[in-house]
Amino acid sequence: MPNKKILIVDDDRDVQQGMNLRLKANQYDTCLAGDAFSGVAEARRSEPDLILLDLGMPAGGGFLVMERLKMIPSLAVIPVIVVSARHGLENQKRALESGAKAFLQKPVDDDQLLAVIRQTLGEPARMKKPALCNQGVV
Amino acid sequence: MKEKPLQVLLVEDNAGDARLIREMFINERPDSFELTHLLRMSDAETQLAKGGADIVLLDMGLPDGHGLDTVRRAHAAAPGVPVIVLTGLDDEALAAEALKEGAQDYLIKGQIENRALPRALRHAIERHRMQTETDLIRINQMQFKDEFLSHVSHELRSPLSAIRQFVTILLDGLAGELKPAQHEYMEIVLRNVKQLQSMINDLLEVTRGQAGKLTIEPQRASISDAIAYVVSTLQGAATAKGITLSSDNECVLPSVCADPTRIRQILIILVDNAIKFTPADGEIKVQARVFDKDPRLVVLEVSDSGCGISPDMTERIFERLFQTSDPSLEGRNGLGLGLYICKELVTRQGGQIWAKSALGQGAVFSVTLPIFSLPNLISPAFSKEVRADRPVAIVVTEIGSQSGWLSDDVRAEQSHGVREVLQHCLHSDLDVLLPKMGAAGGVELFFVIALTDSIGGEAISKRIRERLQEHVQRAGLTVSTSYQFLPPVKRKSTESIEEHLERLGAGIQELIDVETSSRMVVNA
Repeated sequence: MPNKKILIVDDDRDVQQGMNLRLKANQYDTCLAGDAFSGVAEARRSEPDLILLDLGMPAGGGFLVMERLKMIPSLAVIPVIVVSARHGLENQKRALESGAKAFLQKPVDDDQLLAVIRQTLGEPARMKKPALCNQGVV
Repeated sequence: MKEKPLQVLLVEDNAGDARLIREMFINERPDSFELTHLLRMSDAETQLAKGGADIVLLDMGLPDGHGLDTVRRAHAAAPGVPVIVLTGLDDEALAAEALKEGAQDYLIKGQIENRALPRALRHAIERHRMQTETDLIRINQMQFKDEFLSHVSHELRSPLSAIRQFVTILLDGLAGELKPAQHEYMEIVLRNVKQLQSMINDLLEVTRGQAGKLTIEPQRASISDAIAYVVSTLQGAATAKGITLSSDNECVLPSVCADPTRIRQILIILVDNAIKFTPADGEIKVQARVFDKDPRLVVLEVSDSGCGISPDMTERIFERLFQTSDPSLEGRNGLGLGLYICKELVTRQGGQIWAKSALGQGAVFSVTLPIFSLPNLISPAFSKEVRADRPVAIVVTEIGSQSGWLSDDVRAEQSHGVREVLQHCLHSDLDVLLPKMGAAGGVELFFVIALTDSIGGEAISKRIRERLQEHVQRAGLTVSTSYQFLPPVKRKSTESIEEHLERLGAGIQELIDVETSSRMVVNA
């Protein structure tokens, strides 16, 4: 079975790259976008299975991305997980009302992120890959 | 520009006194004061509510109001208007009390000099204005500080997010295998990142606490589970410092009525602190038992063999932003918010926290929490003997979620919101909203015990549904209500109130169990 493809939309290049590495190590294909506008464009181009979406971004935030996606029938069905540093019930509620499947708070725990991704994609739960090297730990 | 005359409201039932006061304004410019004279407190309240008065001159012995009550009523009718009380020679003590209630000043009848009254009025108004301004500035500053802290905390999260991601990427070997020393150093980075993250969370927790947004969902919770969780979570950190961390409980501990997440949070802060201040080869013990001084409480103790706290500091350590000035304890001690948060969490759950210690002799932190007891929870409604035999309706409110995956925080906040609405639907002395009684597959159940027959049960159930409708729609939730009727549980002639409550509690528990388990089947 081919790998599932995940689009990461985040304007923080470091966070984007970190997620990219983590997802690839867990057998997901990835594509990237750094703002709302290219997020929608990239979704249209690569039709991912899932989108990880930041909220505070240039060229319109994550809410705008969700709005645009909803207008395009082929993209409206792609599940979105919001990963944001923004705090507060209001943002979480708004994200879920806008159609997000989940809201995760940055800094996000890798295990939790992977678990929510698998749940959203309907994949069976997996154990976290054990650390390759655990010698020398105090 | 011509200034508007000051509007003085004189509330005085004695015509002679009122006349004397009126005459004291005779030498003032006619456009500087305008005096309105009323005889009764109720008229004064109506007048004050309309607005327009700049100051009230209030006699404390009126036909329809007496003593401090008059001051309270004047304040309630117009909170922003300063009040000067007029008293006789013999009740100066009462006047002093009036100042505590918020009166600006008091004047003793018969001792007011002619020119002094207008001056006293102007001063009182000015003092009041300055005080109001200072209060406003203080509130604004507090609000600004909390918003600032909240904003900064959010901004710090993004870079921290990247650091944590890459450290775990390195530690998990995703960028190639690390040498043992590199691995060790990366673990140190991760530990510090986590510390920073927990400080940011503390800051947010405190600002949320200040804003009254700290959510606590009391329920039947196991202390033993919380202790086991915390000991296993922090075992690694203790072992790394060469500290023995163990727990030692009474065999069977009663459940407490508290939020299990918050109990874990309290214990983590206390044990984490103990680890911080205990040297190698030290010992930390977590214990719990029924409190010998009050059998309605459980006491949790975290004791350590660390450096201890001087006795005069054992109360101050719970203050917000407290930092020790003892050089032997210096080091990275965090923000000084941990114990403050602990105290907030404990007291908001009906418990107490205190520390006993002496320098160099270790410390014992004790926390009490109320034992979960249905008879105790329902007793307020049944406290009056005549009510003990009344029928009981159990109103069940079922809240479901339309949204997808929700974090525990959001769930807790939603529950909290529903609870607040429910609380407003109840008569405080006839109905009791029970704490969370356990989870039922995917939905949340709220139980209200109401002293009423089945018709009343139907009415409450309808009222709850209507009032919740708007709230749940806004929060993306669904609501349904129903009620169960518990036939009157007659008190036996040989039974004490406590024994009777015990039987009532058992009956209610049985109905709750049936409701909960039927939801489990439906939602399974």
